Amino acid sequence: MTFRTIEKKNFPPFIEKLMPAMEVVGVREKVEGKYEFALLESPSQLCLDYDVTLLSPKKYFLPPRETLLKFRTGKTVSCEAVLASKPLAIIGVHPYDLKAIAQLDRIFADANSDEHYRKKRQDAVIIGSDIRRSSPYAFCKSMNSATVQEGFDLFLTDIGEGYVVAVGTQKGQDLLAQWATSRAATKEEVAKRSEIQEKIPYLFSLNTLTTPYDELPRLLTDHAASKLFDELAEKCFSCGSCNLVCPTCYCFDVQDEMALNLSEGERFRLWDGCLLEGFAQVATGENFREDRAERIRHRIFRKGKYIYEKYGEHGCVGCGRCASACLPDIANPVEIFNRLKEGK
Amino acid sequence: MKPKIAFFDFASCEGCQLQVVNLEAEMLDVIGAVDIVQFREAMTEKSDDYAIAFVEGSITREKDIPRLKKIREQAAILVALGACACIGGVNCLKNFQPLEDVRKYVYGDKADWYETFAARPIDAVVPVDYYIHGCPIHKDEFVKVTKALLLGKKPEIPTYPVCVECKRTGNVCVFELGLTCLGPITRAGCGAWCPTYRDNCAGCRGLVPDPNTNAEKEVLKKYGLTVEQAISQFRIFLGYSEVAK
Ligand code: SF4
Ligand code: SF4
Ligand code: SF4
Ligand code: SF4
Ligand code: SF4
Repeated sequence: MTFRTIEKKNFPPFIEKLMPAMEVVGVREKVEGKYEFALLESPSQLCLDYDVTLLSPKKYFLPPRETLLKFRTGKTVSCEAVLASKPLAIIGVHPYDLKAIAQLDRIFADANSDEHYRKKRQDAVIIGSDIRRSSPYAFCKSMNSATVQEGFDLFLTDIGEGYVVAVGTQKGQDLLAQWATSRAATKEEVAKRSEIQEKIPYLFSLNTLTTPYDELPRLLTDHAASKLFDELAEKCFSCGSCNLVCPTCYCFDVQDEMALNLSEGERFRLWDGCLLEGFAQVATGENFREDRAERIRHRIFRKGKYIYEKYGEHGCVGCGRCASACLPDIANPVEIFNRLKEGK
Repeated sequence: MKPKIAFFDFASCEGCQLQVVNLEAEMLDVIGAVDIVQFREAMTEKSDDYAIAFVEGSITREKDIPRLKKIREQAAILVALGACACIGGVNCLKNFQPLEDVRKYVYGDKADWYETFAARPIDAVVPVDYYIHGCPIHKDEFVKVTKALLLGKKPEIPTYPVCVECKRTGNVCVFELGLTCLGPITRAGCGAWCPTYRDNCAGCRGLVPDPNTNAEKEVLKKYGLTVEQAISQFRIFLGYSEVAK
């Protein structure tokens, strides 16, 4: 990997130069202490010292509502795919979200080639940054996602006087060469970067899995009939918040809608989630996971077993968003895994 | 032939009909697709030959019943328009007080002139085919349901709670802003209208099909409400349902 350095004074001009060329999205404070990825109007709005954002950058590749195609009915039926995408830079993505995006890439781009996702993904350049503050619920150390060495185009480490920029891809390198004033990082700067990154996992020492990463599938298999799922179900709203805020949840519902002239319309997709009651319902009204407990179990198995069995990594990156979004406080995976381990 | 549609109102503020009048951009398309034959709020002509009836308002008097039944007999399709018609809405607040008192403080010494009984949604009186929820209804949803009717298709009205739309919008949950909210048990479809403007959801779209009201009471308690305060939150719109009792 090559490392460059951007001096602090050269960083705002770098973002400023990007702005006319593409949409530039970064982390902004929405209300006090709550952050979101949103369009930057000026470099000063960017905050790299945040704990976690409300939604992950997934929303730029798999939008909450997305038109897939437009169609016409009548004598001649026609339809046309809608592929809306623009050049986009996303600045400040934390390692766990980078891992989640890499996982979505495997699922949407490598395995199924979902053009809508792929086009947006190709048009985007991702600039990661280190975690500097832990959110109260994050357990990314346990999910091997407190730091990453791949999954970004560029990655920023704040070393005080400037940012050491790890160059992950050609796309990243080109972006830097075209818009930023940077120089090769010195040996000392690269060493400082490693030193900073080595400490990051310790931010999460209070929130850790008691089961090793690779043994979670076994743990879940052994406790598939646990009463814990029924206990959690008593308190669950089936509100799907835990799914919808999750950077690795990718489920959606597809609907068609006609215009009032009843001769044209559009097909769109909408975020959906396995905790929602209608999620596993099929045309006859049959529901494959009618019980709240079954839905909760499914989510946890998806986080700690199913995805792992398919891709060799878990469908949870430990960001803790689900735990903070769940009003009755029952969605926290690390707590569920640890309670299963204790046999409670 | 274009289907003939008519609008009717019972006890209500007529805000939902006003939303229809306010359709602006879509109004011409609506008029192109249907034939409006009765709509007191918007026109003077009036015909009793209609196939689809949109009924606003809740039923609060004995004499509303035969009128509503007649509408039901005429209409092939009857649509409840807005919270008052769909779930009883704010009118049901009076159901928790002696009707005598209610009449007195509304009508003073003329109280005897006006009969009243416990407010109820229209499906407590006649079968309803479709519901357009909300206080007031959302213009988009009116158009959506109308389109579905024209196609003979069931409109896609969410069965999940408002929290889903809060998440899709990227809202900060109002519980984190010091408010309490009925969103977790309230049917979505408004696009999380109130929380998006940092206000709480009061439940105007009615309950989701399988609401976890016990969990809602627990959460409200955790955020500092007493059981009585929680119940009184439910009563703003959900007064006709069990949860408010
Ligand atoms: S399951 Fe929860 S902690 Fe894990 S990635 Fe999803 S939101 Fe984050
Ligand atoms: S966020 Fe909590 S209450 Fe909502 S569906 Fe998930 S577990 Fe249930
Ligand atoms: S539902 Fe609300 S807006 Fe509609 S008529 Fe009733 S009170 Fe008015
Ligand atoms: S503001 Fe209300 S509707 Fe939105 S997430 Fe919070 S509880 Fe749910
Ligand atoms: S947020 Fe709640 S109260 Fe507000 S419009 Fe939606 S359902 Fe009604």
